[in-house]
Amino acid sequence: MLVARGIDDEAVLLQNHGAVDLWLSCRGQEAAQVASVMAVGDAAVVFPSYREHAVAVARGIDAVSLVAQWAGNTYCGWNPRSHRLFPYTLVLAAQTLHAVGYAIGQRLNEFAETVVVYVGDGATSEGDMSEAMNLAAVESARVLFVCQNNGWAISKPSTEQMLTSVAERAKGFGIRSWSIQADDPDDTYHLCLEASRYVEASNSPGLVELRTTRIMGHSTSDPHTVYREAEELTTAAANDPVTRYREKLLAAGVVDAAWLDRVGADVDTARRALVEAFGR
Amino acid sequence: MRGATPGCLAESINDTLYRQLEGDESVVLIGQDIGRLGGVFRVTKGLQERFGRSRVRDAVLAESSIVGQAIGMAMAGLKPICEIQFEGFIYPAMNQIVTQAARLTTRWNDQLVLNLVIRVPVGGGIRAVEHHSESNEAYFAHTPGLHVAFPSCPSDAAAMLHHSCGLGSPVIFYEPKRLYWKRNRQNREPAESGSALGARTVRRGSDITVVGYGALLEEVLAAANQLAGTVDVEVVDLRWIAPMDTDAVLASVARTGRLLVVHEAVGFVGVGAEIVATVAERGWHLLKAPMRRLAPARRIYPPADHEADYLIGLSDIVETIEEMCA
Repeated sequence: MLVARGIDDEAVLLQNHGAVDLWLSCRGQEAAQVASVMAVGDAAVVFPSYREHAVAVARGIDAVSLVAQWAGNTYCGWNPRSHRLFPYTLVLAAQTLHAVGYAIGQRLNEFAETVVVYVGDGATSEGDMSEAMNLAAVESARVLFVCQNNGWAISKPSTEQMLTSVAERAKGFGIRSWSIQADDPDDTYHLCLEASRYVEASNSPGLVELRTTRIMGHSTSDPHTVYREAEELTTAAANDPVTRYREKLLAAGVVDAAWLDRVGADVDTARRALVEAFGR
Repeated sequence: MRGATPGCLAESINDTLYRQLEGDESVVLIGQDIGRLGGVFRVTKGLQERFGRSRVRDAVLAESSIVGQAIGMAMAGLKPICEIQFEGFIYPAMNQIVTQAARLTTRWNDQLVLNLVIRVPVGGGIRAVEHHSESNEAYFAHTPGLHVAFPSCPSDAAAMLHHSCGLGSPVIFYEPKRLYWKRNRQNREPAESGSALGARTVRRGSDITVVGYGALLEEVLAAANQLAGTVDVEVVDLRWIAPMDTDAVLASVARTGRLLVVHEAVGFVGVGAEIVATVAERGWHLLKAPMRRLAPARRIYPPADHEADYLIGLSDIVETIEEMCA
């Protein structure tokens, strides 16, 4: 989470300097992302959307490889197979059908594998998401849908996007679902672990709705203070899951200052690599 | 070649699919009603009985799901062959085809082999209802990353489908409905051993080159035969709309000095425009007469009672060739 935060902060700075073209910050969503990808395990193949930077970090993708596509170097900066993280998909929800088809394909290949697909709340309005949930249910595909509901489809609030929760909607398709306020990584991890184990054991789909917070705009081109209340943003910053988890672990004695210093050195290394790769 | 290649397009496609399924465990068929029913045109008849429901898969009634899941299966190493029931129903899958299938190998930095064939019955002249008679190949030809196949006879369709199945790159494979059960065909010159993706001269001539593809090539050959003795017509079967073998067209125009392009799809911003523009750029010096296109006007395909007025017919082709060679 700390490394992902460091990369995110540096990418925003580099974009401000014109060294990166665009950045879609995951600030505030690190707990949801790291907890969910750790819960499904390294063996699961992951179809991300486009904001899963903390997922990518957890899958061992280095800062420069992660930011490369946002600096116009490539459409995917990492090896999708070796990291078991497929490329970002920018056309919303298109990857949900790929994930279901991949799971069906691996069943035909007689290769037992859990498939995880990430979407945002905005993407759930796309037809492909509904088609994918239906197809996964009727085919009993071994797919875990992870929906990060950060409350906003760019400027459209969730309350104007849907009348029921995404988790409720999944049930209508015959998919078992879970929902949690995903600001604490421990709680989120345990819930995602339960969901992941259900998908594995039942060989059928599941959906977790991770209610989270987008602290920044949709992208670096999005002046979100135009449509978000100052109070909402103040609360979001005050509830920052990275800061809170750091304090929680320190207070519990799980980590100490020396450990944090070592992680801080890793963060500095990652940020320096970004500046060297893109900042000149 | 009448007699030498018996059967019809539906039988040759069925036979090719049978061989693909039999010879390669990774081949999977997905489409609406292709299993129990054998397809609305019976092109996949008997295949589910022989190869089972997991390899010949009756799809839910959602084209985006058909192509989207096939992309995922191809990522898992399978070789899916989809069937879209009619060309007019491919649009719900357009996003998956254009923004995903066509681009994935590039997005993956060429680290992905995407075997994916999308079979599409195409064209009119069968007294069908709305959305069942059209020709939309230009949309796909315009999209980088897609191959577009458009065979004109059963034996070539078999060869082209075989090639498509192992290409490692997505193919929109058009099957002219009018040819599915048509058994009598115009004579053709024996096919030379050209490249798999090349155009093919199916009738030698010296006065004019007529380029066509798909079902309409039969009318082009009939027109050429009707004019034999007065005009010596060379006929080029384009076969693949993308990539397009314009070198073969230029080579033919170099022999004849005249070019007519005939197709069933709307002429405006169409395949014929691309061919004519290419010859204008690279072969202007070869021409004895202005090039012409023969294709329907840019209007909605009419109800069946009026489709004969809309479609290009034998007499249209004969008259245009006569005008150009007068």
